[in-house]
Amino acid sequence: MIETINSFVSRFGTSIRLDKNSLLKKQNRYFLVDENLKRLVSKDFFHAGIYLGKTENGEFIPSSGLLQMVAEGKANKVVVDEKTEWLFICGRDIFRQGVIRVQGSRRKGDYTLVLNRHRECLGFGKILFDLSREREGVVIENIFDIGDFLRRER
Amino acid sequence: MSGREFFTHRYERIGWKYRNVEPKQAIRVNLINARKAADVVTRLQSLGVQLEKVPFLENGYWICKSEFSVGSTTEYLLGLYSIQDAAAQIPASLFTETEDKTVLDACAAPGGKTVQLADLMRNTGAIVGLDVKRERMVALSNQLERCRVKNAITCLLDARNASRLNLGFDQVLLDMPCSGSFTMDRNWFNRRTIEDVERNAASQREILTEAVKVVRDGGEIVYSTCSLEPEEDEFNVDWAVRNLGLRVEEVNCYGHEGLTEAFDKRLDNSIENCRRIWPGQTQGFFVCKLRRSRAHD
Repeated sequence: MIETINSFVSRFGTSIRLDKNSLLKKQNRYFLVDENLKRLVSKDFFHAGIYLGKTENGEFIPSSGLLQMVAEGKANKVVVDEKTEWLFICGRDIFRQGVIRVQGSRRKGDYTLVLNRHRECLGFGKILFDLSREREGVVIENIFDIGDFLRRER
Repeated sequence: MSGREFFTHRYERIGWKYRNVEPKQAIRVNLINARKAADVVTRLQSLGVQLEKVPFLENGYWICKSEFSVGSTTEYLLGLYSIQDAAAQIPASLFTETEDKTVLDACAAPGGKTVQLADLMRNTGAIVGLDVKRERMVALSNQLERCRVKNAITCLLDARNASRLNLGFDQVLLDMPCSGSFTMDRNWFNRRTIEDVERNAASQREILTEAVKVVRDGGEIVYSTCSLEPEEDEFNVDWAVRNLGLRVEEVNCYGHEGLTEAFDKRLDNSIENCRRIWPGQTQGFFVCKLRRSRAHD
């Protein structure tokens, strides 16, 4: 199960250190627990510790917590302005003029985390056009954003 | 026996004249995610939200004015705050020293108080959260994920079977499933009967009995409901004092003293240490802190 998560994280040009003995899998969902929780958790648990994400139709869907953990290290990331932040959490793609800063890969086809001005991770997307070039229009496709919390409970 | 007249007459008999109220929406800043409450307040103010500090809460603010739902901001989605009625923020705050403790949240979903416990515990120790419905467990998980709670385990289990976990707890939160009140449900007077109230009260006594089995000697149980009916509040606590070896601890929090006499029934004097909050700026609420005697007491 650690391979699934490591492989997802590597999309952002980085890695995170996870102890495989601290990972739990419940059906298609992955959790990270500390020693204290591990001692208490029973096989019938529903949720335990930090939720990392789930696999659905063969694809890994990360939790917002995992994305924040990745964002705290050296990873591909873009910082967006306030208006873009709002549009992004509403599920919209990102226009070039909304990107304030780029760290890591700027290459078309790579994945990047999307952060607001407070360095808080809002989700991630796929770079559609090389970010080094001047270009009008959409440059990052929204793959996942924290507005999902509202959409999933509808 | 039911209806507006029936219930409002009961409230009058125990000292409160019925009036229609509109509780203010409140938020609680999650300090596990925000460095300071003031930072979150500033961010919300910059969005045009008007807030007022709730005088009797540490990190609670009333939303005085907002042009949009405070449940859809980036700050909310990042878990910097939770939307939680001001009175509902009291129970978790009554525990003494929660860090590194093992805490049972026996009726946890949708998770507002579980997140608050994690916040008070600074994500240390462990919270075990139970609930009985799968869809409510999903809502609870979403809250835990949104608010970056790290120290909780949840199980789909009826609180009345909590001893099946074979765990001992330092503290138990019993935020009981209850009859609610007219403040949260416009049709409450048409829906509820005294038989519902009595049925809920009986189920609450079963949960209380189970809680005593899993709390350690000297451990704390916080009991709360959002019901105004003494059967679910003071009467149940009186029953627990008389039958379960619990004692009511003094608390320093918002609210009126618990009733020691109601509907011709005389209750233990210690019940005055409970707190009854009549509806107004908050929903109606009842809360108390109980302690299980030590084996040698």
